[in-house]
Amino acid sequence: MRIGIDFAQALSIIMLILGTIALVASTISTSTILAFIGLGLAFWGAILLYIRPEEYTKKVLLEATLSPSLTTLNQMIQEFAYKGDVTYLPPKYFADPETTKIYISKHKDTSLPTPEQVQKYENQPVARTPRGMLLTPPGIQLSKLLEKSLGTSFIRTDLKNLQQNLPKLFIENLEIAENLEIRAEDDMTKSTTIHAKITKPFYADTFKEAEEPSQLTGSIGGPICSAIAIAITKATGKPVRITDTKSSEDGNTIEASYEIIEE
Amino acid sequence: MSFPLTFWDISLWLAITAIVLLITSELISPYYGKTNLLINKKRLRNVALTVSTLFLITVAIRIATIIISP
Repeated sequence: MRIGIDFAQALSIIMLILGTIALVASTISTSTILAFIGLGLAFWGAILLYIRPEEYTKKVLLEATLSPSLTTLNQMIQEFAYKGDVTYLPPKYFADPETTKIYISKHKDTSLPTPEQVQKYENQPVARTPRGMLLTPPGIQLSKLLEKSLGTSFIRTDLKNLQQNLPKLFIENLEIAENLEIRAEDDMTKSTTIHAKITKPFYADTFKEAEEPSQLTGSIGGPICSAIAIAITKATGKPVRITDTKSSEDGNTIEASYEIIEE
Repeated sequence: MSFPLTFWDISLWLAITAIVLLITSELISPYYGKTNLLINKKRLRNVALTVSTLFLITVAIRIATIIISP
């Protein structure tokens, strides 16, 4: 692959040099044909150099390196036997305003901890307490990449903004998926549900592998679902739970439902 | 010793290049599905738009010349 890129770069440079020579020669000989040839070569040489991709990694390589870490996370949660609700906590729970973490309660239907209780364990990568544990979500780096691409933090956006910008980031900017639909459903009682439909995601195979072994990982989500949950929790400033994740048999479509919890 | 192309030659060349770039940019847009082309699509779109703008500027100059000239 490296040879391929170097070859493309060398070809572009040769085109640029030949084009410049042709342009100079056309001025000396006053030849229109040489001028057009020179202009074309120099222009396309420069364009080919400019539009070269920044960095690309083979998809299989990415999946092979990502999959074990998700499996480890899965096994760790099973080992610790925290079987309660999985909640994405917003930055207001932490001292660092950019932090988002997952809180897994020991038992089902227990209340969320207070920001003061959470801040005691904030800096630990895996913080275990008798009531629950704090984990760094698998989609944290992806969400940071999305923020970088957006040019602002999700904290400074709102849900409407997120609905408009997230599909553009997914499809056009980072090309993570072929399509992303985000739909908000307000039941006017105490919670808002967000439905996300991701078509042909980049991590399709990894997601399927990670989802199968544990029910809990479904609530944490794969890297993409987790990144969306982080974006929602940051934009709304409220805790978020992934209530449902469905992947089609071929892995080409992922549907995830997020519940924004009113405190 | 002078550059053999006139302003209008450059204008024509810009028009053809702009069309080629705009069509390519539209065809490989991620909104129509993923392609295996390993190029920076955003940069290509920017180049296409820049070349198109340059062509439009030459058109504007041409119109201005027609209006101003007696």
